[in-house]
Amino acid sequence: MVKLQFDWESAGNRFEALVNRFVKWAFSFRGGITLVCLGGLLCLPLTGREYLVTIVITAMILAIFAASWDLLAGFAGQTSFGHAAFFGISGYFTAALVKFYGVHWFVAIFIGAGCAVIFSLLIGIPCLRLKGPYLALGTLAFALILYNLFLTGDWLGGTEGISALPNIGDVFVVFYIVAAFMVASLIIMRAIVDSNLGTILKAIRDDEVGADATGINTTVYKLIAFMVSGLFAGIAGALFVLDTTAVNPALFQPLYSFYAIVMASIGGIATIYGSIVGAFLFRLTGELLRPLAAASLLIFATILILIIRFAEEGVMNPVLGHVQDLWDKIRGR
Amino acid sequence: MYRIYGTRYEEGKMGLILEVKNLTKKFGGLTAVNDVNFEVHRGEILGLIGPNGAGKTTLFQLISGFEKPNSGSVRFNGVDITGKKPYQIVNLGMARTFQLVRSFRYLSLLDNISVACLSPRGKEAFGEIGIDAAASSILASVGLVDKARLPPVILPHGDLRKLEIGKALGTNPEFLLLDEPFSGLAHEERVGITKLIEQLTDEGVTIFMTGHVLHELMTLVPRVIAMHQGRLIAEGPPKEVANNRIVLEAYLGRGEEFA
Repeated sequence: MVKLQFDWESAGNRFEALVNRFVKWAFSFRGGITLVCLGGLLCLPLTGREYLVTIVITAMILAIFAASWDLLAGFAGQTSFGHAAFFGISGYFTAALVKFYGVHWFVAIFIGAGCAVIFSLLIGIPCLRLKGPYLALGTLAFALILYNLFLTGDWLGGTEGISALPNIGDVFVVFYIVAAFMVASLIIMRAIVDSNLGTILKAIRDDEVGADATGINTTVYKLIAFMVSGLFAGIAGALFVLDTTAVNPALFQPLYSFYAIVMASIGGIATIYGSIVGAFLFRLTGELLRPLAAASLLIFATILILIIRFAEEGVMNPVLGHVQDLWDKIRGR
Repeated sequence: MYRIYGTRYEEGKMGLILEVKNLTKKFGGLTAVNDVNFEVHRGEILGLIGPNGAGKTTLFQLISGFEKPNSGSVRFNGVDITGKKPYQIVNLGMARTFQLVRSFRYLSLLDNISVACLSPRGKEAFGEIGIDAAASSILASVGLVDKARLPPVILPHGDLRKLEIGKALGTNPEFLLLDEPFSGLAHEERVGITKLIEQLTDEGVTIFMTGHVLHELMTLVPRVIAMHQGRLIAEGPPKEVANNRIVLEAYLGRGEEFA
């Protein structure tokens, strides 16, 4: 007879090992910094400054968005200039579901993200034959087509879009919901790029012919990268729309795609977590530069050029490296 | 240590592993491979020689699926693989290396090999012992285990050649195409690769390799085919082929031209 017994001992051991690993990580330099920052972030609403909290909410949503771009471009090497397409599609579907069908927002997020995944396949399949700058142009074109479709079409509100969605809750509730989504999304994305799947994606990025010659079906894996990236971009889009309680075709603008690229580059490409740093820096500077209106874009473009020229790694890893050196010196004394 | 590659070679299961029939490839007006016919026997090492531009690499590209032939067919283990995609051919058991070394630049050597072990065929062979264990075992067999955590960009050329072979081994091949495995190597490095190739044949891997310098292949290979201007011009033991008048003319030009 088969014993249907739960192996408590081995499960316990595994749990213990997991806890040990977590404790070791938490007391390492990077783990410590991460936890301190996370703790600080979660305490932010306690200050009661609603305006600041609103800004940080957007920053967190954009962090998911930038990280999803980073996964596709930084790890799989498929540079997309049309990431706003996934963002917008999911945003529109979520808004329509919540507004017209009364779907619960939590369910709507995942349906919206699912639509983004399907759409990422629609974009991915024809664009797979394109490489480098041609892929960038192809994806850009897709996003522009969507922009114009939603702008000129009568469905889903045309130019006006859909507005006056029901609020999820008050701003502090939204803050914790978005924070949970950000932490979960980024941990999942990081786990993906650290897994075997991630190794294969990096191999395709480094040398597609070589990956083919080692028996990897590059087409399938590139599509997987598109889908995973589309999923998280979709989650970001859905959250964005639920947060602003409105959606309009502007979501498809190339501007949002460029935002993702700027944020990921500032934080550091191929890091995933760099996107958080990038998104927060981007959002906070954006708020400071608000008086400059459109001219602020000029400044971001300049920053992007400077980063590409002088700090290819972005700011997160080099800064952390320097701080760690300093920390080691202080402790060594 | 477990044996990580090979052992599909069984006594009495000799026969043809590769049959190439009437293979032709044209690039515009240039016929790079012209009506080529030959066979590779299971378990042997076959050499392919010819001067630069003879079409050796194109022939490799055609066999491994990176280029599609204009006409003719390639059969591997009795299966027609003409027109199949490279990764499909690899998963049937034919791996290759490149004349210009390729590597995944930002991955460690271990991960470079892991990618190959993660291919369907590699997983099937190494899934049980674990991808990482298999990859480090392969690294050990090509002599790079002490550099497992380094990225390939900082390696000398000889190590990259070994890595290249290691990557091919990660897919658990029974037939290995080596494109100029000796090119650009110092003498000691050549000896290392030779040993590795001999070891692989002992394990039962069939090998088909090119080289444009004859004496490198001489000691290693019992049978060679020679190519010139896209055609096969000679076949036989290396000594005979090397002294063949047509082959000499292909390498050195016709006597009259120097007269």
